[in-house]
Amino acid sequence: MNRAVAAARMQLVHPLLTFGVPWAIVLSSFAINLAIWGFGDVAAQSPGDGSTGGLASLYITVLIVFIQAVTQMFPFAMGLSLSRRDFYLGTVLTAVLQAAGYAVVLTVLAAIEGASDGWGMRLHFWAPGVLDVDNVALQFVVFAVPMVACAFLGIAIGVVFKRWGAPGLYALTLTTLIGGGLLAVWATWQTAWGDVFDWLGDRSVYSLTLGFPAALAVALAALTFLGIRRAVP
Amino acid sequence: MTAAATFDSVTMRFRGHTALEDLTTTVQADTITGLLGRNGAGKTTMMQLLTGHRVPTSGQVRVLGETPFENDGVLSRLCFIKESQRYPDQFRVCDAVSVAASVYPQWDADLAAQLLEDFELPVRRPIKKLSRGMTSAVGIVLGLASRAPVTLFDEPYLGLDAVARQLFYDRLLADYAEHPRTIVLSTHLIEEISDLLEHVLLIDHGRVLLDADAETLRATALTVTGPARQVATFGAAHELLRTESMAGQSRAIVRTRTATAHRTAADLGLTVEPTSIQQLVVAMSQATTAGRSATTFPSDLQGVSR
Repeated sequence: MNRAVAAARMQLVHPLLTFGVPWAIVLSSFAINLAIWGFGDVAAQSPGDGSTGGLASLYITVLIVFIQAVTQMFPFAMGLSLSRRDFYLGTVLTAVLQAAGYAVVLTVLAAIEGASDGWGMRLHFWAPGVLDVDNVALQFVVFAVPMVACAFLGIAIGVVFKRWGAPGLYALTLTTLIGGGLLAVWATWQTAWGDVFDWLGDRSVYSLTLGFPAALAVALAALTFLGIRRAVP
Repeated sequence: MTAAATFDSVTMRFRGHTALEDLTTTVQADTITGLLGRNGAGKTTMMQLLTGHRVPTSGQVRVLGETPFENDGVLSRLCFIKESQRYPDQFRVCDAVSVAASVYPQWDADLAAQLLEDFELPVRRPIKKLSRGMTSAVGIVLGLASRAPVTLFDEPYLGLDAVARQLFYDRLLADYAEHPRTIVLSTHLIEEISDLLEHVLLIDHGRVLLDADAETLRATALTVTGPARQVATFGAAHELLRTESMAGQSRAIVRTRTATAHRTAADLGLTVEPTSIQQLVVAMSQATTAGRSATTFPSDLQGVSR
């Protein structure tokens, strides 16, 4: 277990880089949105609350950070005689703690956003649309669980690369593309798009932001562990 | 002598080629072993098996009595320094050192600091920005300061200048004298390290060609020079590895089988010189290469000899 903690610490050797980059990106996105809302007087132009997708940049950056957590750190960790299991546990530990920490910050920002009527200009950046839930504890979970799923997706992509190299990544991309494409073709052929959206609309916020990401995270965690067991640094 | 590690009929196959074939050998505990062999002989594969980076196709590898694969009990006592080690892009020298310090139970911080100074490594510079030789020096610092009971060096000094290499040999020997441990050193610079070695393990095409302590090797490997007939007579009684003949004179590298071989050769009127481990390794590797081509094209050779 000590060695898993060592692996986690290895991931956080440069906290300024690990934490700084995602927040620098999402904060600049926030600043741009604030400026647009301010100068464009969006609140007056459009009825209701304005939402943006800027928060997604944080989740995407976390995904990329965890791809690198594997591709950069795995060869070094194994070079220092850490087992794959300890490296994996340490990285997962980092992902979960990081998601929790980020979710706390996001919850605070969302609370300020709510209290200040969207920063005084009805901008809902941190908790856009349905992501804005009333309960603080629930708000935390709504932020944290998809974050864990993004981190695990990053870890999974990193493991595919370490285990199967570039051909593995191409194969993964191609399979995802073809699989998604075939589903889209099928839905169009069956004229089922309306049903798909109805079905999605019927799902609650919680199943979309909690149930689905949680299931994805658990599945990825299991698959990733199997994948890394035979990866060679 | 106890064994720090054992290979028991180990075969390692990759897609399309066999890296190790039914290899059985031991790595002696508290000894400096030279793992020698040509490029592609299987040295790195052996080290990857010792560290659990790979799993053998068949057979068994044991380190400190246990299977190393995902075994923390073994891995925590093992250090593997390789030329091809990749460091994370943003890591500075001091980051690599502090992370290594948190991983190896027997880490010696004073020794690490001393070595960093000796190799004149800029501790705050990203490893990515270092020259090839300096990057190698980082590995050497980690390997020596880890004080791991089993330390493996795979071509640890690519790009290091002669002075720094000598520094590595000196530090290795000094620290080894104070803290005996099992050290395996794979290298192509045999001449340079032959004085360091206590045991030699020569691998060729995934098989063990030579597995002997260095002292015995130095005593039994001879180069004899003299009239071709006498050299041939002497060679027939021992293991003739290589002969060069010119104008009735021959010069041969021979592994002797008897303790009195020295005198026998002298009685035959031959000049006897010691053979360095490097010459012996080259001669033995060439002898098997020749043997291989002989078995591949037997009909051709028969045609020539008759």
